[in-house]
Amino acid sequence: MDLKFPADLKYAPTHEWVRMDGDMATVGISDYAQHKLGDIVYVELPAIGVVLEKGSVAGEIESVKAVSELFFPLTGEVIEINENIADNPAFVNSSPYGEGWIMKIKISNPDEIKNLLSVEIYQEMIEKEED
Amino acid sequence: MEFITKEDLNEIKTPLYETHVKLGARMVNFAGWLMPVQYESILKEHETVRTLAGVFDISHMGEFIFEGPDVIPFLQYLMVNDLKLLEKSKGQYSCMCYENGTVVDDLVYYEESPERFRMIVNASNVEKDFQWINKHIGNFRVKVKDVSKERCRLAFQGPKSDDLIAPLVDTDLSTLNRFYFVFCNLCDIPAFIARTGYTGERGFEISFENKYAETIWNAFIKTGAGAAGLGARDSLRLEACYCLYGHELTNSITPIEAGLNWLVKPKEGIDFIGKEVLIRQKKEGTSRILVGLNLLDRGIIRENYKLFKNGVEIGYVTSGGFSPTLKKTIGLALVEIQYSSIGTEFDVEIRNKLLKAKVVPTPFYRNI
Repeated sequence: MDLKFPADLKYAPTHEWVRMDGDMATVGISDYAQHKLGDIVYVELPAIGVVLEKGSVAGEIESVKAVSELFFPLTGEVIEINENIADNPAFVNSSPYGEGWIMKIKISNPDEIKNLLSVEIYQEMIEKEED
Repeated sequence: MEFITKEDLNEIKTPLYETHVKLGARMVNFAGWLMPVQYESILKEHETVRTLAGVFDISHMGEFIFEGPDVIPFLQYLMVNDLKLLEKSKGQYSCMCYENGTVVDDLVYYEESPERFRMIVNASNVEKDFQWINKHIGNFRVKVKDVSKERCRLAFQGPKSDDLIAPLVDTDLSTLNRFYFVFCNLCDIPAFIARTGYTGERGFEISFENKYAETIWNAFIKTGAGAAGLGARDSLRLEACYCLYGHELTNSITPIEAGLNWLVKPKEGIDFIGKEVLIRQKKEGTSRILVGLNLLDRGIIRENYKLFKNGVEIGYVTSGGFSPTLKKTIGLALVEIQYSSIGTEFDVEIRNKLLKAKVVPTPFYRNI
């Protein structure tokens, strides 16, 4: 397994990644998450304008074999969703940090960022899950 | 994100376990067996079987040998299909039912001689079937042997399976018709080869002694065929609309309800278990029936999702998923008979939302 975890991203224990740009957070799922799910065939995206607390369910990701929830890693409002993955959900497998991004959130509580995991801690967590 | 993790450790391994692990397969517990659900990608394996050929380890399935002068009358008593339609060197799909017409198992048996039959049953039902069969032997002069764990079973399926298997066998299989079988040498190893399958493609199901498992598996891989796991096996059989025990057939569903009206034969003058109920259902129909569905809205439907018409529950999904060949969401469902005609629309409840589905002709896809 040759999974990639960019060091400039933050990670949630529920396997979402977050890329911060001012108060804007781009969110997707990690390479580990897409690998565990297998071939993704459908992503249910949240609606633009939805405001939700950190930890709320943002949408669902269905692979051939399983369905998993996507969570809000930070509190905020959905301001953009990746319409491309509605037609091409396989982007989440092939490019989880690029074309397979899922949504952009305008965050309302910047203090939550420090509770996200660094790449080192996230990788440690995955290794424990795998043991 | 949550994943299914950690298998329990009492699983049985097929003779190809190490081979699957070396190929990078994701192994899961299926009916107590540690089986490859996928190697690299279910979608790719599915496509390989639809366009070229794939090899599946199906050693988890059960294999029984029936011997004795009363094999045919005994099977006539257990089975809903009619063995009069069978002949030497041919197999037949059938169901064994309970007295109330619901299903013990669906299976295939092959007539090697009028006094010797080979039967392949579902992995999850091996013990139950073996007990059920033995319980009913009574005065029938039949001996049944479970050879499941002595033998390896493979399925070799796909439009190119004939071309790819030809150099490996000492017999011409191109003239072997559907459901017929031969004993021949495969890679110089004695093998049972039947033209049967569970994918909706041409292909073979093969059985031979365990010790040759790796040799024969590797020979198939060397032909250019792909390794295919249980994930692809399930998506392929769903497109082809083959029933899967535990889903479309269970101990609370009859073959007539599952759309297998053709399978239950009148068998006049022959008694068989479940006959009274099944013949009545065949004549009078049932209050619910299996249908094929397309989801009109976006989403994926899965087993046990409920169906509603104008807010009233009318049935449930028995199997569902994404069809890699048709690129849309398909499913099988048991619905009340008045909502079963093609074109009928109703709602599927998916996590508290209602999505539109439509009854469509089945099978969704077959290329046999």
